[in-house]
Parts: sequence; C-alpha cells; structure tokens
Amino acid sequence: MSVGSELLVDSESTVDSIEVVGDDVTARSPTELFWRRFRADRVAMISAIFIIVLIIVAIAAPLVVKILGLPGPNVQDPNALDAFGSPTGPSGAHPFGVDTLGRDILSRVIYGARVSLLVGIVGTLIATLAGTVIGLLAGFYRGWTDTVAMRVVDVFLSFPVLVLGLGIGAACSVRGCLGGVITPGIVTVIFIIAILSFTYIARIVRGQVLSLREKEFVDASRALGASNRRIVFKEILPNLVAPLIVYSSLLIPTNILLEAALSFLGVGIQPPTASWGQMIADATPIFNTAWWYMVFPGAALLLTVLAFNLVGDGLLDALNPRGTRS
Amino acid sequence: MRNTARAAIIAVIGGLLAAVVAACGSSSSGTSSATTANIPLKPGENPVGQTLYGKTKGGALTVYSSEDFEHLDPGESYFVQDYAIDYATQRPLFTYPPNSSNTLVPDLATAMPTTANGGITDGGKTVTVHIQPNVKFSAPVNRAVTSADVAYAIERGANPNVANPYFISYFGASAPTPLVGTTSAKYAGGPIPGIQTPNPTTIVFHLTKPGASFLIQALSMPISMPVPESFAGPLDKKAPTTYGTQDLVATGPYMLKSDSTGKFAGIGYQTGKSATLVRNPNWNASTYSQLYHPPAYLDNININIGGDASVIGQQVLKGTHSVQLDTPAQSVVKLAYQTYPSQITFTTGAGDHYVAVNNSAGPFKNANARKAFWAALDRNAIVKARGGPLVAQPMTHFIYPGLNGFQQSGGYPGPQVDYNKNPNGDMTVATKYMKAAGYSSGKYSGNATVQIVGANNGNDPAIIQIVNNALTGLGFKTHVSEVDQSVMYAKYCGVPKQEIDACPTVGWVRDFADPLTLLYVPFYGPSIVPTNNSNWGQVNDPQINAAMQQAALVNDPNQRAQAWANVDKMLVDQAVAAPEEFDNQPNIESKDVAGVNQLWDIGQWDFMFSSLK
Repeated sequence: MSVGSELLVDSESTVDSIEVVGDDVTARSPTELFWRRFRADRVAMISAIFIIVLIIVAIAAPLVVKILGLPGPNVQDPNALDAFGSPTGPSGAHPFGVDTLGRDILSRVIYGARVSLLVGIVGTLIATLAGTVIGLLAGFYRGWTDTVAMRVVDVFLSFPVLVLGLGIGAACSVRGCLGGVITPGIVTVIFIIAILSFTYIARIVRGQVLSLREKEFVDASRALGASNRRIVFKEILPNLVAPLIVYSSLLIPTNILLEAALSFLGVGIQPPTASWGQMIADATPIFNTAWWYMVFPGAALLLTVLAFNLVGDGLLDALNPRGTRS
Repeated sequence: MRNTARAAIIAVIGGLLAAVVAACGSSSSGTSSATTANIPLKPGENPVGQTLYGKTKGGALTVYSSEDFEHLDPGESYFVQDYAIDYATQRPLFTYPPNSSNTLVPDLATAMPTTANGGITDGGKTVTVHIQPNVKFSAPVNRAVTSADVAYAIERGANPNVANPYFISYFGASAPTPLVGTTSAKYAGGPIPGIQTPNPTTIVFHLTKPGASFLIQALSMPISMPVPESFAGPLDKKAPTTYGTQDLVATGPYMLKSDSTGKFAGIGYQTGKSATLVRNPNWNASTYSQLYHPPAYLDNININIGGDASVIGQQVLKGTHSVQLDTPAQSVVKLAYQTYPSQITFTTGAGDHYVAVNNSAGPFKNANARKAFWAALDRNAIVKARGGPLVAQPMTHFIYPGLNGFQQSGGYPGPQVDYNKNPNGDMTVATKYMKAAGYSSGKYSGNATVQIVGANNGNDPAIIQIVNNALTGLGFKTHVSEVDQSVMYAKYCGVPKQEIDACPTVGWVRDFADPLTLLYVPFYGPSIVPTNNSNWGQVNDPQINAAMQQAALVNDPNQRAQAWANVDKMLVDQAVAAPEEFDNQPNIESKDVAGVNQLWDIGQWDFMFSSLK
C-alpha cells in the first residue's frame, strides 16, 4: 500500500513528462516526486528563494542594517526632515527615504519583515495545530464530538475579527483588559489570527478525516486490531500532511495581510516597533508629499504576500496534481 | 499556461511598482530641498498691521473646516473653533479688537471700568459696568438687552445643565478672586449674590478679594454674552440644556440661520455637515463705542464641516471666496508658503504644548527625574514634527509669546538653567539629574513602567514617539497608548486616579491676555478635580500655590506681569512639566479674500472683519 501514491500519482490526469533513463525505470519516493514537480515550477521556486532570503534578512536584520550602513529602525533624525518638517525622499544616505520622524524607511522595512514573518508563521502554526486537533477529533469520532466541535468553529467563524480588533484596541490600549492580559501588541495579534484561522483548517481536516476513516486501509487496520490512537496517528494523520502543508502555506500570506490590517487600525504592533501595516497607516495622510513612505513598505508587503501565495500554489500543484486548479 | 499567467501577474505588478516609483520620483527633488533651520516670513504672511476698515462690503464667504464645533451655546463654549461663531453672533461685555493681542475694549459695555470713571471701587472688590442701551436680541426675543440678561448668562454657567467649564476657575469657588456667594460648595447655579443689576443698563460685580482687573478681563469670555432668561430659562431646565443645540438668539452682527422661533438645528447648523451664518436683522452698528465697531462686511458665511485637511486646504488655496477655519495640514502649509505666500498668515502666540508629567505619583514625583526628562527631550525634533519653525518654536518656559510676563520670564531663550539650555536634548545633563534623583548609573533602575497616553490625530503620534525616545533613553520602560484626543482628556490625562505618568500631547491656549490664564488652571494645586481635570500633571506645590494666590491680586499691569513671571520661574525650577513648543498658527485663504486674524486668540479668521476683495 502506498498512501503517497494515491495523492501523487494520477492515472487520469495529464502527465507532465515521462522520463526514461536508460533501460531502467527508477522508483521514486513521494518526496522525490514532490520535489521534482516543485522544482519544475520556476515561479514557485523563485518565490521560495525570495521567502528564504527574506527570512534570512529578517533574522539577521541588525547585521543587514549595519552592513548597508543604515541607522537603526528607531533612530530619529530631525535633520533628515526638510525645513517644513516633511520627510525627505530616497537619497544615498536613505535609499528608501525617511519617515515623519526622520527614521530610515529601508531600515524599518527590514525590521518590519520580522514582525510580518513572525506573526504570519507563528499565527499559522498555532492555527494549524489547533485546527488539526479539532478537525481530527470531529471527523474521526463524529456524533456529538463533531457537532460540538463544528458549532464552536461556526461561532469563531462568525466573529467579526476586525471589529473585535478595533474593540480591543479601543478598550484595552491603556491599561489592558482582563487585568492587563489583553493589550494591543504582537501576542494579541497572533491570538486573533489563530482564532480566526484555525476554523478553516479544522473544517478542511474534518472533511478529509470523514473521507479517510472510511477507506479500506483504515478498515484493514481496524480489523487487525489497531487502536483509535494508532489509526489516527499512523493511518490518517500522515494522509493529512499534504493538504495541511498546502493550506497552511496559503494561510500565511492571509495572516500577514491580517496583521498589516490590524496594525493599520492601531490594534497590532505598537510603535516604535516597525510594522509594514503601521507604516502604511502612518503614510496615508501624507502620501501626496511623501509617496516613498507608503510605496516601500507597501511593496514589501505585496511582494511577500505574493511570494507566499505563489509558493502555496506551487505546493498545491506539486503535492496534489489531481487538483482542479489550472 | 498556469505558470505563464502567474509570471504575467508578477510582471504587471512589478511594472506598476516601477511606474509609481518613477512617476513619483520626478517630484521628490522638490520636496527635500529646504533644510534651513529658520524660514523667514514673506510679505503678507505676518498678520500684524492687518487692515480692518474700508474694505469691500457684501458677498458670501465659504469656510472649510475638517473639525466640527463642540458647543454653540456661549455658556458652554470653550473651544477656539466655537469662538469663531460665538464672537460673530454674540456680544461679550468686553473684547479684543482682532489686531490686538492685549488691549481690551468695550463691546456690549459702554466703557472700560476704571477707578477714575467709578467703574472700579471698594479697593478693587467692586466693578460696575454700564451696557449699551439699544442692543437687541434676534427673533423671537426681539427686545433690548438688559443687564439682567448678562447676569443670567453668568449665573447659568454654574447650572449643572449648562456646566460652563471655566466658571468655577474664573468666577466661582476655585477662582483667585471669586464673586461673592459662589464660594460655597453647595452653590450650583441660581442668582449670584455678588452680581447686582440696579437698572437695565447697569451691572455690578462684587468680589470677595480685590481682583477687578482680572474680572474685567474674564468678562471678555463668551460667558458674559447676554442670554435672555425668558427664552433660555425653560431650555436650561433640561439636562443638558438645549439652548445652543436646538435654539439660540443672537446679539452680534450675524446669527445662525434660524426660523421665527429661534430654532437653528437643522436649519443653520447640521452636525458634522454645515453651519450657516446670516446677518442679524436686529443688529445695530451704532451700538458700539468709538474704540471698537465691527464692520461686518460679509452678507453670508457658509461653513462646510468635514473632509480631509490636506484636501480642503488645497481647495482653499486654489479656489475662490474661501478660508480654512481649523489648522491646515502640514503639507498644505508647505505648499502655501512655497507657492501661495500671500494666502497664508502665521500668528505667533497661538498656544503651547508640553508633556504633562505626574508630579504626585510614580517616578516623576521626583523633581530631579523631571529635570532629567526635560533635559533629555529633543524640543527641536518636536518643532520639526509640528511642521518646522514657521509653526513652532522650542518652548523654554510656561508663559508663551505675546503675553504679559513673557519677556520677564526669559523671552524665547527662557530661564538659563542647565536642563533648559539645549533644545536638542542633552543626555549629559539628563544623566546628571538622573543621578541626583537617586539612580547611580544615570539610568532609571526602578521597576515602574511609565504609562504614556497621547492623542492619535495629526502629528501627535510623532510627538509621542519623540517623547518615548527621550524616556527610553533615560532607561525607563514605557507603555505607549494613542487614543482619540477627547478620550485622552476625558478618560486618562484628565482623571487623576488613572495615574498616567506622561501626557505628551496636551496644550493650552490663553483665555485672555493675562498670564494667570496660562498658569493658574494647569498648575494650581487646589484646581485639581477628580474628572475633567486640567491640572494634568497634578502639580500641587504649596509655595507655587501661594505665589499664584498673591500674583492674582496684583492689579498694576507691570507688577502683575512680573509677579506671574516669578511664578513661571518657580514652575521651571520645579520642572513641573517638560516643555515642547510655542505654537504659531497658520491660516489660509483664497486669493480673493481679505481675511483678518484674531491675534488675541490663536489667529483664526474673524468673520466680522474679514471680507472679499
């Protein structure tokens, strides 16, 4: 039995290529097949390289800023403003220009990547973990477990997240709420993202599990006396890896955008920490006179989200060539 | 095919980005050229010496304002924006001509009370004012104003349904020289024993202390604008009063467009949308003294409320027959100065901003910690953030330019204490004071987190970050919150029990030409109240309180200026707040408008003296 082959080999769909090496037909593992397909997708590869570079730049932000000879992201320089207090545009000293406090925008864009990636990836990981557990339990046990879990998911899906964020921003900004536990900031943003995103994962996982638990290999395992735990972890869960990777990779850009939106609304990352969403918000009233303040963090956000989306598409194609997307 | 489509998307987005950058890049050179520290005013930009009389009569002026009005009832108004309508539609006992920041003249009164004319008696404890006999209220009242209308206007200030915000500080229990009968804690409106009206044109004020000169100046505020009890009394019984929200009568040259019953809501004013001023048919131009007689050139004043400040600013500069009432956006000021210099004015002495630090609790209870913060704060950076030297100057003490006592308290350089000398911020001096405050390393080593609450509008967030930068530089751990300005005052900075450590975006504008109005409310200990508190730093120094009480009783102008300058020096010595900037107010008009600025206030347009060209 090859679980992977069911996902990765498609006898009905078109075959991208048939490779014959000499007279031998080499058997390939699912990972090798995935990697061959993903590598063949040049756009996805370029996007993946972009993301890897971005992650390296984000992790090594202090070093990168130092190498580029830029001031730190929070260094205020009133001399970099013009006589009217307006930000000055791109120059040799400040390649992306400066903001209203004379802070270097390139430096802040680099540091802003840390926030976007951290929130996007960590928020998605938490959402994926929670969604997988809930979806697995609901789909495998069905009955009242399924009913309760899915109604909980429905409730969370009904949450007006941006309104909730605005409410938290308004009510909890100074002293916090619940004794200071909830305050606007990175932890709250990750929390909001997690409670919004896990619902999608939970529904997808539940649907997959409902289907998988009826498959012959699960019946066979059960007939051999396997426990529920073994069936879940050894038979069903491995079959969820591919869709989880695909949907998680597509959730990351959504969550990066959500973080930017929350920061734009003042609920997210609090100043002076650099955040692309907050930079765009700050730039809005002065776009006519300081376009660079919006364009560069906006471009960084756009390119990052695009890259994650393209990688997600590439993963989907590489892991599930039977998919209908074209 | 699929990959081709994605590649095309990337190419299109990349191209768009490049196009935006390239298109915008061509204008960047013009925006970063000026880097001089000071910018000279061009001809026409200084409103001092503006022409008041002999100008074109008639026409309609369009006024843009991104901000709405707060109160149109003169008994409640305490917002510069409201004053533009108050002073055009109502007549206080005394007023300042628009071209004078200090000279008070009679408006509804017939003359300035003096000891010589019998207006000031009883050693300065009694003030007698005679009012013009033929001033009439607009419809539906349609009768002559009497002294009883002035008495009612003032007494309703203590009515909780009206709740005048400054009655208690200038006339009531907290006043330096209260009116007789208002000092009881139980007094909550109703006839004031200290105000008598022996005949319809005479009103007599009795004070508990000799404070005649102060009272006369305070009577230039909207609270002295007459209100007919027969009309407003029933409305004032509602909580809150509907006088000024639904119905209103006028005594000035203009009135809010109203129906025959005096109702203006929905007619001459629509919340958040518009206000319309028309001529008051009952106004009589001959009911003024020789010293002051507003020409009222314009026929109509149509006020459009709302809109983005940078957009309406450009409409004014490029359009016709229009002015902007509130402060223009920073980009508009720059555009006007560079391209439309004859259409912008800058009024000095338009207020100040400072960081209110908590003197009663937390790390800034220690005066040396406050001095360290003062020294560390980069005031030049704040000036830049406000819009540069055209609109701000580094603040060096608490009496701002244009007020008596400013020069005596140090002028622009201010007191020569070391923590005040360097407006760029001086960490060496700051470190010295941190050590004096008990932090041996020169950095804060306590466990407290400094709570910073500031406003989130305009350039205030930038100011907050400059303040935060100074505090973190001193080793403080901070928690910054940006909220709506009204929330900042109402829920945090104006509520002592919240124990906010630093409020970086508070500001003060004088109420009249007396330094007391700058220092008394924000820094006098007994003025601290549980809510709506304006002594944001909870400054309560017995020596400063005593000095204020003494200075309030000085009547000679020069001695009074010196007395308040001495109070100012004490405030600097205790570093009761960290100064930011003295404000200049920019105002813009269309090229065919001959606007006149109220120099006694923040320089906003005076509708009674402004005209079309």
